[in-house]
Amino acid sequence: MFAYIVRRMFQSVIVLLVVGLVAFSMFRFVGDPIDNMLGQERTQADIDRLRTELGLDQPFPVQYFKFLKGAVQGDFGVSYRQGRPVSTILIERAPATLELAFVSGFLAITMGIALGVFTAIRRQGVAANVIMTVSLLGVSLPTFLIGILLIYVFSIELGVLPSFGRGETVMIGSWSTGFLTTSGLKALILPAITLGLYQMTLIMRLVRSEMLEVMRADYVRFARARGLSDRVINFRHALKNTLVPVITITGLQLGSIIAFAIITETVFQWPGVGLLFINAIQFVDIPVMAAYLMLISVMFVSINLIVDLLYYAIDPRLRVDARAT
Amino acid sequence: MILRNSAIALAVLAATSAQAAEFKWASTTDPQTMDPHAVNSAPVLGFLNNVYEGLVRRDKDMSVEPALAVSWETIGDGEGWRFKLREGVTFHDGSGFDAQDVLFSYQRASGEAADTRSWFAPISEVTVVDDYTVDFMTTAPNPLFPSSIANWMIMDQGWTEANDAVVPDKETGNYATLNANGTGAFKVTAREPGLRTVLEPFEGWWDQAEHNITSAEFTPIQNPATAVAALLSGDVDMINPVPIQDVARLQQSGDVEVIQGIEARVIMLGFDHQAEVLKYTDDAGKPNPFRDPRVRKAVAQAVNVDAILATIMRGNAEAASQLVSPAMSGYSQANADRPAFDVEAAKALLAEAGHADGFSFGLKCPNDRYLNDEAVCQAVVSMLAQIGITAELDAMPVRNYWPELREDKYDMYLLGWSPGTFDAEHPVRFLVATPNEEKKLGSWNFGGFSNARVDELLPVIQSELDAGNRQAMLDEVAQIIQDEQVYVPMYVQPLVWGTRSTVDLTQRPDNFFLLRWVTVN
Repeated sequence: MFAYIVRRMFQSVIVLLVVGLVAFSMFRFVGDPIDNMLGQERTQADIDRLRTELGLDQPFPVQYFKFLKGAVQGDFGVSYRQGRPVSTILIERAPATLELAFVSGFLAITMGIALGVFTAIRRQGVAANVIMTVSLLGVSLPTFLIGILLIYVFSIELGVLPSFGRGETVMIGSWSTGFLTTSGLKALILPAITLGLYQMTLIMRLVRSEMLEVMRADYVRFARARGLSDRVINFRHALKNTLVPVITITGLQLGSIIAFAIITETVFQWPGVGLLFINAIQFVDIPVMAAYLMLISVMFVSINLIVDLLYYAIDPRLRVDARAT
Repeated sequence: MILRNSAIALAVLAATSAQAAEFKWASTTDPQTMDPHAVNSAPVLGFLNNVYEGLVRRDKDMSVEPALAVSWETIGDGEGWRFKLREGVTFHDGSGFDAQDVLFSYQRASGEAADTRSWFAPISEVTVVDDYTVDFMTTAPNPLFPSSIANWMIMDQGWTEANDAVVPDKETGNYATLNANGTGAFKVTAREPGLRTVLEPFEGWWDQAEHNITSAEFTPIQNPATAVAALLSGDVDMINPVPIQDVARLQQSGDVEVIQGIEARVIMLGFDHQAEVLKYTDDAGKPNPFRDPRVRKAVAQAVNVDAILATIMRGNAEAASQLVSPAMSGYSQANADRPAFDVEAAKALLAEAGHADGFSFGLKCPNDRYLNDEAVCQAVVSMLAQIGITAELDAMPVRNYWPELREDKYDMYLLGWSPGTFDAEHPVRFLVATPNEEKKLGSWNFGGFSNARVDELLPVIQSELDAGNRQAMLDEVAQIIQDEQVYVPMYVQPLVWGTRSTVDLTQRPDNFFLLRWVTVN
């Protein structure tokens, strides 16, 4: 067990290093930050001086090594655009993204499971068919289009919800929350739906097909023969058994909700890390881009590591294999 | 031209009710710093003009008027300028303003770390005569100096020193990056970089307030569709810019208005004047045809600017004949005609130059720098095809674009230029003068154009005190640029702002948005 964990940790670190290396070698093609930092009346001497100060004149392995040295100590450098430490900016922006991801994840799971069960049980009903058809839209429409549509309907035409931003926030320690104000809660609705819609339809369709599968299983038929009520059969026997793959998928999707909130955050000008990343690309803010990419890869690598370790704990066959090799 | 200037000043300030109002506005770019000397860019200087002030400032029609200085005069025969300072002015933190703050701000803004350094290149020495008199000595007579420092903002020496921000720092930032202490009509009360910046009126402002704002909040919104939605839903009161394709839609809505004007920026095509050979397409390695002025003229005659303006700009821009727009000082009336669109004449010129069978070359273009820049380049490609020359278009984000141009990786390119001094001398210095690192000339003359007469006239223009003589020389330079067809000026980029119908404001050609001219009804 211990050897397995150590080996997996070692592999994770290598993955992180490679991600960082690929990211850094790509920064050279993203553009030159110097032009954004100097006005149009700059001279070549100004350009050279700034380039040297920022260390951009050095080969990228050297820049990468410097970045790693700082990152290990929790220092991600200073943002070219804002002139503030990247770690400070990330801590400031993280609550917005995490709250949005939490709410849309919650929406996706609860609504997804409820609708999935409903459409599986009332397979032939009109309502179920309507939901299934609409859910096709949720899977096939691009996120930004859904966002724009929602803004058009609820902000411009009906005028009930804000079109952008996070509303008023309250600081709890260093965590800014939008949960405690009316405008903050209102501002959450549209982005959360936009971000969660795809995951919701995914979970719903997964639950539905698993549920239909289980309903045909022998033990459900026997349960029915025993005269158990529909409610008990549907929720205690059928639903419980459909949840295993759902939980696996949901866990993996959680990471992508955080990582791919970029588009939703751009459409709603949501002040989270995704928006920060998009702005960093436009400005060629290398320290911010590097820190963001590293954090996202740390997140994915740790989720995968945890999943692997769970499998190891659950599945005895893995342990046997490990001993055999 | 006078008509247009007054048309730009849109504010209807008469008979506004005294009711107070909160104002919210959005733009694509967040000012990256609150330090007025760290970054010389329009978003930063435009925003900080609400907070800081210079010795002089620009009025609604861009004319220079007194601000922290009440008057100025030349010293002797033009050895320098003497500024009389305004008395009784205080900074937002309550400390007083005097000549020491001016000297301090000069040293700060002209130091090596300052991005505004080039403004002070003609200055040899600054001396404090008394508490409210400052002398700026120049190396040569400099008639334009007062109007060239309208964006040089004065900081309080005590505040800056106490907060350890004596040297602007754009790499790692300092106290002045996030905080501001100016003398302007508004003070910064909250600053969250990239999220929002809140301004409130400064009670102790020396001038009479014309606005009725109680607080103003700025939010950067990068996505144009989001900005338009925010304006339509009333979440913001003003956006800049409005995407050209949304103008007609917004004009139909009763709640919002579109305000259009002409920016100072001229969009033009540039050539490689030095390269011996073409660098792109199958013709790479063949002699560079753009070294021949006849070929450059043929390009100018082949581009149908009116068609570009009617279709791509949807009638929102104006054709340009030279490197500055007619709203700028020093504009050459004598050269106000641009080459007529004439395919046959262009073909004849090409044949005369020995390119009757045409040739192909590479055109570089940004795709996120100017309004509809890539679409304009595509139109140019198809127009040039009509005279038998084939352009291979390579459009890219601006962050990749400037490095390409600096490395001479183009045969022809698109460039927009906004003269920082609002004078015709500015583009000559940066785009036409022979590149000279030491004298800081021609730093954006990527093509390496060189003309001895222009180089000879430029320093004379810079120090000529007589307006008539100066204009005569500017006319001569404009004539040379036109004869040689150094660039192909196409049009002056439009300014398109959107506001709620309840808002009155002023749109200045430099695209600066000043809160002190805003009234909300």
